[in-house]
Amino acid sequence: MTDIPYQLPGIPSAAYSDILGRIAIPVIAVVAAFLVGLVAVMAMGVPLDRAVSAFINGAFGSAYSISASLNRSISLALVGIGFVIAARAGLTNVGGEGQIAMGGVFATALCLAPGIAELPFGLSFIIPLVGGAIAGGVWGAIAGFLKVRAGANEVITTLLLSFIAIWLLYWSVQSENLLRQPMTSSATLPESLSIPASTQVPLLTGSYTSPVTWGLPLTIVIAIAAAIILSRSVFGFNLKAIGFNPVAAARAGIAVGAGVVTALFVAGALGGLAGALMLQGEQYSLKAGFSSNYGFDGLVVGLLARNSITGVIAGAVLFGFMRSGGISMEMMASVPSALVGIIQGLIVVSIAGAAYFLDRRSAR
Amino acid sequence: MSQGTAVQDVPTPAEKTEPQPLLALSGVGKRFGEFSALSDIDIAFNAHEGHCLLGENGAGKSTLCNLVFGIHQPTSGDMRLDGALYAPANPRDAMRHGVAMVHQHFSLINELPVIDNLLIGKKFGRLNRKAEAEKIMTLATEFGLGLAPFEIVGDLSVGQRQRIEIVKCLMQRPRLLILDEPTAVLLPEEINSLLDVCRRVAESGCAVAMVTHKLAEIARVADRVTVLRGGRAVAHSADPSNDMDVLVRAMISREGEAGDNRNFGVSALPPRKLAPHRGPLPEAMQIDNLSFVDEIGVKRLDSVTLTIAEGEIVGVAGVEGNGQSELGSILAGLSHATSGRWFAAGHELTTAKPRQITAAGVGVIPEDRHLVASIGQLSLADNLQLGRMQGFARYGLIDRKRQREEARTLMQRFDVRAPDSQSAFSTLSGGNQQKAVLARELTTSNLRFLLAAHPTRGLDIGAIEAVYTYIRQAADQETGVLLISSELDELLAVADRIVVFYRGRIIGERAAKIDNRDDIGSLMSGKTP
Amino acid sequence: MTMELFVVFLASSVRLAIPLLFAATGEYVSERAGIVNMSVEGMMLTGAFGGALGTAMTGSPYFGLLFAVVIVLPVALLQSVLTNTLRANQVVTGIGINILVLGLTTLGYRQFFGNRSREMITGFNAWSPPFLGDLPVIGPIFHQAGLAYLAVAIIIALAWFMSRTGAGVALRAAGEDPHAVAISGVPVITLRHGAVLFTGLMAALGGAFLSIAEIHTFTEGMTRGAGYLAIVAVIFGNWKIWRIVLACLLFGAATALQFQLPAIGVQLPNALLIMMPYLLALLAVAGLVGRQIAPRALAQPFWK
Repeated sequence: MTDIPYQLPGIPSAAYSDILGRIAIPVIAVVAAFLVGLVAVMAMGVPLDRAVSAFINGAFGSAYSISASLNRSISLALVGIGFVIAARAGLTNVGGEGQIAMGGVFATALCLAPGIAELPFGLSFIIPLVGGAIAGGVWGAIAGFLKVRAGANEVITTLLLSFIAIWLLYWSVQSENLLRQPMTSSATLPESLSIPASTQVPLLTGSYTSPVTWGLPLTIVIAIAAAIILSRSVFGFNLKAIGFNPVAAARAGIAVGAGVVTALFVAGALGGLAGALMLQGEQYSLKAGFSSNYGFDGLVVGLLARNSITGVIAGAVLFGFMRSGGISMEMMASVPSALVGIIQGLIVVSIAGAAYFLDRRSAR
Repeated sequence: MSQGTAVQDVPTPAEKTEPQPLLALSGVGKRFGEFSALSDIDIAFNAHEGHCLLGENGAGKSTLCNLVFGIHQPTSGDMRLDGALYAPANPRDAMRHGVAMVHQHFSLINELPVIDNLLIGKKFGRLNRKAEAEKIMTLATEFGLGLAPFEIVGDLSVGQRQRIEIVKCLMQRPRLLILDEPTAVLLPEEINSLLDVCRRVAESGCAVAMVTHKLAEIARVADRVTVLRGGRAVAHSADPSNDMDVLVRAMISREGEAGDNRNFGVSALPPRKLAPHRGPLPEAMQIDNLSFVDEIGVKRLDSVTLTIAEGEIVGVAGVEGNGQSELGSILAGLSHATSGRWFAAGHELTTAKPRQITAAGVGVIPEDRHLVASIGQLSLADNLQLGRMQGFARYGLIDRKRQREEARTLMQRFDVRAPDSQSAFSTLSGGNQQKAVLARELTTSNLRFLLAAHPTRGLDIGAIEAVYTYIRQAADQETGVLLISSELDELLAVADRIVVFYRGRIIGERAAKIDNRDDIGSLMSGKTP
Repeated sequence: MTMELFVVFLASSVRLAIPLLFAATGEYVSERAGIVNMSVEGMMLTGAFGGALGTAMTGSPYFGLLFAVVIVLPVALLQSVLTNTLRANQVVTGIGINILVLGLTTLGYRQFFGNRSREMITGFNAWSPPFLGDLPVIGPIFHQAGLAYLAVAIIIALAWFMSRTGAGVALRAAGEDPHAVAISGVPVITLRHGAVLFTGLMAALGGAFLSIAEIHTFTEGMTRGAGYLAIVAVIFGNWKIWRIVLACLLFGAATALQFQLPAIGVQLPNALLIMMPYLLALLAVAGLVGRQIAPRALAQPFWK
């Protein structure tokens, strides 16, 4: 057995091209995708200035639109941070959508539970938030447990769990025995009762003209904490070791199974928290389409960030504002918001494809 | 067949009978970055001949094969096939030129039946498995190869799988067949029949190139032998049976000249001072009737019982694949014994997890440095403290400054050379990587027992010497050591006594004295006195 | 349940299973070659859109079918290049393509159908094969769109191809150990390109079935996860073609039950029935129902 050096020494650390990859490629992809979007707008015969001003107005034209965009970014950021944490342990959490749904369902149940609304010191909205987070966390941890116990691939299990959660959500707003509001007529919508005001997450400004909630500072704190945990804590280090080489990590005494389950619990909990915040901060009642693809978009944000929390924040803000802009473009300039989907899809596909040029070196 | 014997029978001087070579390499060299795996190789492979490439681990044998088979491309020199320039871009290209190779790692699909494996890449249309199997069986029997064409490959033994690989090569009617250490994985009785097959293939007119580091095999197959050492061809013989002594000396030359020679590292060690006899010593480790059956039902370890006293170094000798790896894996906590128990430092560790094994005072140098002992993408400092980060933490956060200082201390103490403690582990040389692993394992708190599996594999002389110096130091401080190695000379130089593994059993035990070398050698081949 | 009702139930189970059968057997080929296409959802949606558009433009469902295949080709090609040439993450690119395609088809739908979105397109009519269709009692089960019989033919041919031809064996081997296959002289990357394109073809047919033969129109995002369900069928079918066929039929039956149960007075939440395929697949991968063995090299990019 001839020993060839495992990895060839002497390759200077790719600091330069790393910067190129981490910043230049996403920027180019985003700009190019937007240009395609502009061309599409022109092709549809909509005056460009009208579409663009509608988009900008919707995204950050007013205090209200900025707040709405930020609320969207919060959900994406939480799911994205969770994704990055799981990815550190080499796990791909595709289950954001289901974790949001479970968070929403349990937060609703707690908000409507007798006695919760009367709790003092803000516990009336904190307990449902925590409950939603735990529900999402458990949903994620199931995938972790199945991976450790049965060797089930977490991409498959988190995806399946997502669909199950989406239908559990559907079930819970369809059945009066669960969360559906009492049917007073045949026109009663299949959704839950509105949650009591005391269980709603308070607005940062206290005014509905800029309805950004306390979820924003909470998310910022979580992002900072996640960055510190990943880069400086023993837990973050162990996750990294598990992600790179689970066998060596196990041999060195790191509890690999517990690490896997915990990582997916944390990822799921952040998804659940996002769900709880969406419910208690924005929608106030549970409906079937509640998670509306925030899970998948958040996953994409996490993936494109290439393992960096800063990247997640940038991506979440971009996608959050794009969603708002797209909705406004549809209403004000009759450009279908599907265009935003096209732009997002293009960004995802081109950045994922461009990874080849960054990874080729290390894979060889 | 008659041609083959004709060439051998001509008893004239070598120069005059030198046939037109089928494949000739001239001045071939291969560098991987800074590392020169092969340099300035001149070698010729002739039709009708078996040609052995002899050399110790790391001599460049496999690299040479990979160049000929198009897996790597030479960085200098050229190769000529039948006089025409031959530069295979990939294995497919090589195969088109009639070059086939049996790899150390089989390229078989375990999930598929034998016949499907044999037909992959050869037939794309409709398969008539029965008819194809008959044709293949005819070919296989011609060379004395038995096959069960409809069995699933995953259910077969290693020897059977190797036969499939060989048949797969022969189906292309190759002009040159390369076998990379084909006997390393075989049982002794399988080895003989493999060598016969090689012989027949050569007699059929094919050139056979076989890599080995076992001298005994040469006499049976080789018309020619080339010895490689340190990436150079250092000796050549067209009459290997009579030149055996020369070849041995060339292969394991103890002069310690330019090329790296593994044994030199050991011979530079001072003789081991045995601790003064203090009566029966306390046990560092005890294995009691340990057996292990793998997932396909093969008994890899068979009732192994062994006790190691404090301060004692026990060597495990044996041809690779006789249960040593499985023992290593069990003692490392990566798998659990099927039956039996084992203890270290007074704790039963039969079902313990790696963390508990480490906590009991057991250090482990696993045989696979890259996959098990270290994490290449992490820094040197991180690898030095893998699994011990808690010790540098306050409120769960790692004190990087303290961790770096501690890493620097370890680097100094164990002479781990790297630009910085933050260098990526994968950029270190093999020797420094291994010293780092040793540094970590030997500083396990309350170290009482050390498992060292092939700790010098692939290392240069200086590193080998350092590794054994540290291991001995540990033994001098009352640590019991189990040293698994395929290098008998290293075991003889380093250990106090040697147990020999054969088919999962300990079939004999000898004091580690040079006089016992032949005796141990024959035990390794399964011969009990 | 009366026999008549039961036969209606069986017929609608089969009908609901057809699009799944197309997509799942297509995805089966890719996964056997080592590739997961999350984009099978997007490919189906594109096929549904192309089928509806082609039919609406020409009035011929046959042209619609052809157009569905043609329009899916670039989508499959995009997935294939990303996966095989650029070795991009298969899950991400698949989801990315789904987002992209959802946008494109929605936009295209508004452009082309905008003001006549209520119109139905001519579609394939159901057809009864001679003999089988005339059988007493169970005859109605065979009253299906001709595409259903195309699916049966393709699946039989595919099963033969995968087990009885060298290319099929090489393809399965490429999903287990692509390096070993490459050493045997098989062009793994080409093979995998072919597999993804085949998945595209089958997903196009499945999608077109939805729009042309089933609903007779296109609606935004009309596949509603059918592509993902096809992937689930492959998982639940343990990557074996006949089991995948059974899984599709089972999933079809679960959907059909939603409409049948209320008719016979059984109150079971719809959600539970729709959820069942995912739950079953989850139990299967968890090892609670048999042992799932995925192709060893599934979702791993192949670097030479």
